[in-house]
Amino acid sequence: MTERRLVLTVNGLAASLADVPAGERLLDTLRWRLGLKGTKEGCRTGGCGACTVLVDGESSLSCLTLTHEVDGCAVTTIEAIASDPVGRSVRDAFEREGALQCGYCTPGFVVALTGLLKERGRSAPLEELLDGLQGNLCRCTGYVAIARAVRAAREATA
Amino acid sequence: MDRLRVIGPVAELEIFTPGTPEEALAAIRAAPEGEVAVLAGGTDLLADLEEERSRARRIVSLRRLPWRTLDWTGPSLSIGSTLPLRALELDPGVRSRLPGLYEAVHAVGSVPLRHRATLGGNLARSAPASDLIPVLLALDAEVELFAAAGVRRLSVDRFVRASRVTAIAPGELIRSIRIPEARPSAFRWQRVRLANDISQLAVAVALSPSDRRWRVAVGGIPPRAIRLAEAATALGTGAPAEAAVRRAGEIAARAVPLVADRRASEEYRRRLIGTLLARAVASALLPREGVG
Ligand code: FES
Ligand code: FES
Repeated sequence: MTERRLVLTVNGLAASLADVPAGERLLDTLRWRLGLKGTKEGCRTGGCGACTVLVDGESSLSCLTLTHEVDGCAVTTIEAIASDPVGRSVRDAFEREGALQCGYCTPGFVVALTGLLKERGRSAPLEELLDGLQGNLCRCTGYVAIARAVRAAREATA
Repeated sequence: MDRLRVIGPVAELEIFTPGTPEEALAAIRAAPEGEVAVLAGGTDLLADLEEERSRARRIVSLRRLPWRTLDWTGPSLSIGSTLPLRALELDPGVRSRLPGLYEAVHAVGSVPLRHRATLGGNLARSAPASDLIPVLLALDAEVELFAAAGVRRLSVDRFVRASRVTAIAPGELIRSIRIPEARPSAFRWQRVRLANDISQLAVAVALSPSDRRWRVAVGGIPPRAIRLAEAATALGTGAPAEAAVRRAGEIAARAVPLVADRRASEEYRRRLIGTLLARAVASALLPREGVG
């Protein structure tokens, strides 16, 4: 069964993968098999949010997800987030507010916030959005600007 | 010169994704015990594999089983074992009728983690630091175990044995968790970081509308979360007076086995018990729509 072919939709394109080891993580499939290096590896143990992607529209930690587990699913990474109107608003808000320094955490924040806004809709209170990003860490202490970007993205999608 | 240890490649793993519970049990049975890992959300299992704490050679994924369910039947709630925690958290009924469960689920990991993590996985794992087990104890939850021979039910209190030890038998899978009634309830914890951290100590309380008595459970302690019957009795029936809450806190602080570790000292944990208990009781008594 391990040798079977996996078919994922990644950023709107079909990805047909043969011989994916059972223990391979989605994070590694994206970065090393598919060359999508926008998704970052921070801790690899679920503690930082840098590896966040959308699986069927829901934010997921790609370091804690086996690629076999998303067979048949649609995966969206930072590379394609702006092709979604909500994702574009989020990306633009981060850019306008200067909500990054080194940028390592940014793909995770942008994808996670896009997922939250899509899941919770226009009426989600700002506090709920900020709370929903607690699992994303930024080592450059850019949280004030990030919080500004969250507010701006929320207003832009409302 | 010392030799580097050569680690077996993860490629030696195999994964099965059965479509029915019977097939899942067969796939588990076909592998030597100790070499098979059941995969629900995977949020713990993958960390184990990464850090080589697991000897699993075969993974049996439950993702195709029809157990991602959430069913209210009158006052009782049945939660499918593979339902992602996030679905539980976003259910309006859970939030209003079982606020303690909502708070505990909300306390687990982060939103993306809760999109995968499950209640069944948390129970099967039975970590002393589980934020979900204390509230399940306070809500008198039952585990429903599926086996070829049929289904059996066990209280969470009897299901959880010790750290990472449960009463699950070979050939059994957790199918669902049943909570008998909606209860005013609350879950309070203390941590260094708000998200993605392990609670230094946690307290769950619930007030049963049918017998008017409190349940108190404490988590974040080794070897497992426990119910505190004496402290619950000290709270009396219905809304307790301030002195009763204080007395319950003192009883709880004496009854709980505490240790010092890198997260907190024993003394700090002891003080936390009364504080968290008082906060939880106050929160459980806040008026909420649809409770009781
Ligand atoms: S790399 Fe996945 S959460 Fe840190
Ligand atoms: S901008 Fe550097 S980690 Fe966040």
